[in-house]
Amino acid sequence: MAWTWFHRLGSPPYVYGLAARLTPWFAWPAAALIAYALYAGLVVAPADYQQGEGYRIIFLHAPSAWMSVMVYTTMAVAAAVGLIWRIKVAHAAAASCAAIGATFTFATLFTGSMWGKPMWGTYWAWDPRVTSELLLLFLYLGYMALRSAFDDVQRADRASAVLAVVGVVNVPIIHYSVIWWNSLHQAPSVMKLGKPTMPPEMYIPMLAMFLGFTLLFGALLLTRLRAEVLNRERTATWIRDVVGT
Amino acid sequence: MNDFFAMGGYAQYVWPSYAIVLASIVLNIYWARRSLARARIDARKRLAMNPPAPSAKGEPA
Repeated sequence: MAWTWFHRLGSPPYVYGLAARLTPWFAWPAAALIAYALYAGLVVAPADYQQGEGYRIIFLHAPSAWMSVMVYTTMAVAAAVGLIWRIKVAHAAAASCAAIGATFTFATLFTGSMWGKPMWGTYWAWDPRVTSELLLLFLYLGYMALRSAFDDVQRADRASAVLAVVGVVNVPIIHYSVIWWNSLHQAPSVMKLGKPTMPPEMYIPMLAMFLGFTLLFGALLLTRLRAEVLNRERTATWIRDVVGT
Repeated sequence: MNDFFAMGGYAQYVWPSYAIVLASIVLNIYWARRSLARARIDARKRLAMNPPAPSAKGEPA
């Protein structure tokens, strides 16, 4: 039956083992890609004709921003799966996302601020893109605060999942904010259809960083998921085999 | 080399950006590994307090 893979993904021991086996396949390519992209972005890529060397912040700012919304979307999808099919592993995956996403949302705002000072003339503007990204940070922080307000994991899962699912409306708002409203922020140059608006010496390190960050998220999520699954399974007999007694 | 660190006059904006993002990566790796290590220690403690029930044959499982 074609759906057996889906059912197996609901099984904590199967997921724990699978996550353990998959982690290195995400972690090492992520390390290689990020190391390459750092070198190519800082050393190999030429200076921008308008922004000089200052534009190099983009090699971290745009991938961090991608992480911030991609992690949120993953969290919301996992939360929705957990709510609809009552799958514990899905709730565990959603809970694993929040801290990762919050960190990279902060990094996005910080690097944007550092880029904004020389290019926009200010560290901070209540610009649609900046404001919706700040709202994303508050969604992550609210999600984590809500979870910690419950002693019972199942109630924390349900309540936080509703918040995660409702908050996902902010994701398209972030993406389209630069198109819908007058924004200081530039329009997308990577996450768009058609030809990139950068030469390959800039575009390739950028893509490597996007891919590297995405794989890094995979490795982080799988590691945190194993921790969440162990905490939720309490004293299930399979745990004895994986932690050793 | 000094030219590289000067970043064409943008050093004060470029390097803090790189520092914060790299710190985010390192911290996330540390936090993820620590949460798994703690979960494993906690699971061992729980299991030690709840030894497996003896099987029907009277042998430890």
